[in-house]
This record gives sequence, C-alpha cells and structure tokens, in this order.
Amino acid sequence: MSLLAFEVPEWYRQALDYILTEGLPGTLIIAGESVAASAIVGVLLGTLMTIHFLPLRGLIRLYIEIWRGLPIIVTIFLIFFALPALDIRFSAFQAAAIGLSLWGSAQVAEATRGAVESIPREQHEASAALGFGWTGRHVYVIVPQALRRLLPPMVSLLVNVLQNSTLAALIGALELLESGKRQVERLAAPPPVGDGEIHALPIYGTLLLLFFLISFPLTRLAAYLERRLV
Amino acid sequence: MIPLALEFDWGVVLDNREEWIEGLENTLKVSAIAIAGSFVVGLILGAARAHRVPVISQLAAVYVEVIRNTPLLVQVFFIFFGLPQLDIRLEPFTAAWVSVLIWGGAFNTENFRAGFQAVPFRYREAGFALGFSRLATFFNVTLPIGGRIALPSSINTYVSVLKNTAILGPAIGFAELTNTAYNLESILFQPLEIYTVLALTYLAIVWLISIGIRLIESRLRLPEEAR
Repeated sequence: MSLLAFEVPEWYRQALDYILTEGLPGTLIIAGESVAASAIVGVLLGTLMTIHFLPLRGLIRLYIEIWRGLPIIVTIFLIFFALPALDIRFSAFQAAAIGLSLWGSAQVAEATRGAVESIPREQHEASAALGFGWTGRHVYVIVPQALRRLLPPMVSLLVNVLQNSTLAALIGALELLESGKRQVERLAAPPPVGDGEIHALPIYGTLLLLFFLISFPLTRLAAYLERRLV
Repeated sequence: MIPLALEFDWGVVLDNREEWIEGLENTLKVSAIAIAGSFVVGLILGAARAHRVPVISQLAAVYVEVIRNTPLLVQVFFIFFGLPQLDIRLEPFTAAWVSVLIWGGAFNTENFRAGFQAVPFRYREAGFALGFSRLATFFNVTLPIGGRIALPSSINTYVSVLKNTAILGPAIGFAELTNTAYNLESILFQPLEIYTVLALTYLAIVWLISIGIRLIESRLRLPEEAR
C-alpha cells in the first residue's frame, strides 16, 4: 500500500486497521451511551433542582458535588473494583460508561439548573394562566426553551466524554487507547506475533491525531452554537 | 457490636497509613508543581494571545487546540511510552508533572487570554496617556484587572489538574494516591474499604479547596462587580 511516494509499512497498516475496526467503535459506543444517559438524568435532576423544596435540592446538590468532585477514574474504580464486594458486578465497558454518566449527568444537571432559571418568570406565569400544572408547564414550555441554551454545553460535554472515555483503557475495556496499547504490545513481541520492535511513538501519535480529528470540529461547533444561540 | 449486613474493616486503611500519606504527598507534590507551572505558562501565553504577539500567539493557539482536543491520558502515554523512541526518557515522577503541567498550561492560556481581553481598551488607553510603556501598562492595568477576571476559571483549571493526577498512577505507575490504593487493594483484597477511603480523601481535598476558593474570590473580586 503506498500513499503518494511514501510507503506505508505493513505493521502500521495492520495496527491502524485494528485501531479503527476494534478501538474506534468502542470509544464511540461508550461516549454515545454516556452522553445520552448524562443528558436524560442531568436534565431531569437540573429541572427538579429549581423546585424550592430544600431536602430535594440538598440531595441533588450532594449528587452533583460528589460526582463532579471525584476524579472520574476514582468513580470508575469504585464501580469496577469496590462494588463487586457487594455482589454488584459490571463489565469494564459498563463500569466506564456508568462512571462517565455519573460525572456527565452532574455537569448537565448544573447547566440545566442555570438554563431553566434563566427562563423569564413571565413564561411560567403565562403557561400557568393557560392552565398548565407544574409538570405540563415544564415539559411543554420551560424545558424546551432551556434545551436551546443547553445545546452548546452538551456539545462540549460530548467532547469531554469522548476524551475521558480513554479512562476505560485503565480497566482494560477495548476502546481507542486500549486498542493502540494492545498493538504496541503485540508489535513488541518477536515474530511471528509482532516484529520485535517498539512502535509506541507512531501509534500513540496516531491516536492523538484521531482524537483531534474527532474533537476539533465538535469544539468549533460548540463555539459557533454559543455565539448563535446565546 | 451491632450486626450489620455490611461490615467495614477500617483497620485495613489505618494499618497502612504510611503508604496513604506518602501517596497523598505525591499527589500534592505533582499537583503543586503542575499548578505553579501552568500558572506561569498560562500567564505568559495568555498575554501573548490577548495582545496578538506575532509568532508566539499563533504557536500558543496551536498548542491550546492540540492539548484541549486530545485526551490527557493519550498525551501521558505519548510522553511516557512514545518519547523514549526519540531517546527522551522521563522518570515516572517527571513524566507525571510534565504531562499535567502541559495540560493545565493550555487550559490556563485560554483562561488568561479571555481575562486579559475582557479588560476594556479605554483602561489601557488611560495607561498609555499616563506615559506608561506597553509592558508597564500590562503589569499595572491589564494584569491586575484581567487577572482577577480570569481567576475563577483558572482556579477551576487548578482543581482539574489535581483531580487529573489520579490517572497518572494507573497509567505510568507513579505512586500517587490512586495508585497507592490500587496497589494496597491488590495485596489486601479489601476493595470496598480502600476505594471508599480513596474517594473520601479526594472529596475532602476538592471540597476544602472549593471552600477556600470562594473565600479568596470574595476578597479579590473587582469592586465594580460587588453588589
């Protein structure tokens, strides 16, 4: 396989093939699941937080401060290594997705609270005058308007979750970093498994490039939405 | 003793307090170096970005975008496992603070750039009118005002730097707090106690810092922001 005059070595083609077919889907699935869960749980908790009922507010505040305060890797270790002592077992893949979702939902909850509170009081009054109860008012009037303001932080969250999904590699779940790591280890083995050489630099460099190619357009999109919507 | 469905054996933590304290010290040491370094990097590159210093500004922009759009963990792997191929070999401790410093510096560059750019141009004009040079205007006008505007976001970055040191242990075997817990657990097989204490330690540090930050922020807030 040749690219212009530059010859792509066979080991690199194999490694890249593995990274793209085995690693990339893992990263996209973990990130996709985590962002979806974060959005659902976060918007719900953030909206509930605007109710002036102290115990409920306190509980949600505690949830936010715990999962935002902990390093994500510590949350993932708690789920993956500590919970089995209580007979609660998750695969590495699930543990990573749950850890990221706890962190992400705390971020979304905080952003949602701000967005919901920024909707003018007249919107509440007008929808109440139309006969909506608290639930109807929020489901049909307030939250849809707040969601618009939540779009930029949601795109930023996606970028953050994509990058933090590499933490899954530390507990052995197969995603981009883990697939790269496995290829570096395989190639370091003597033939026929590998070629007995270290190829860490080009392989981790490729991973940096891949993440950049995915994240950079999303970061630009978040900045653009920020300017357009706010 | 009251029979509980769940019995914690905290002795496991107390018996190994020396390891814990050493891990905590390493976490704080790496964090302190990286925070101080990212402050300096952020200040200099942030100023270069805000004042569009040719060449440095463009290079800083590339640095910021590359670091912010790639995962820290892959950066750590690149530095610790990739660079030796270019004969750049770093000790785990060095690789640890270097990688979080580079990461924090990029985020801080953005924080300070935004802070400095938020200083109204008429303030700097006033400085020039008083006969201050560009540099003197920066130190006497832009830095005191813009620095304080940048303070909340830069402190968030410092807290993130501290939390991010947690990935260094498992990634490159540097003996900070999380790695200490991981190693203790692999000998003692008491994951529930060990990881609960680990989590509580991080929460205590992060919450204490957050409370401290609020105090500092209210002291340093710009007069016109005070209500």
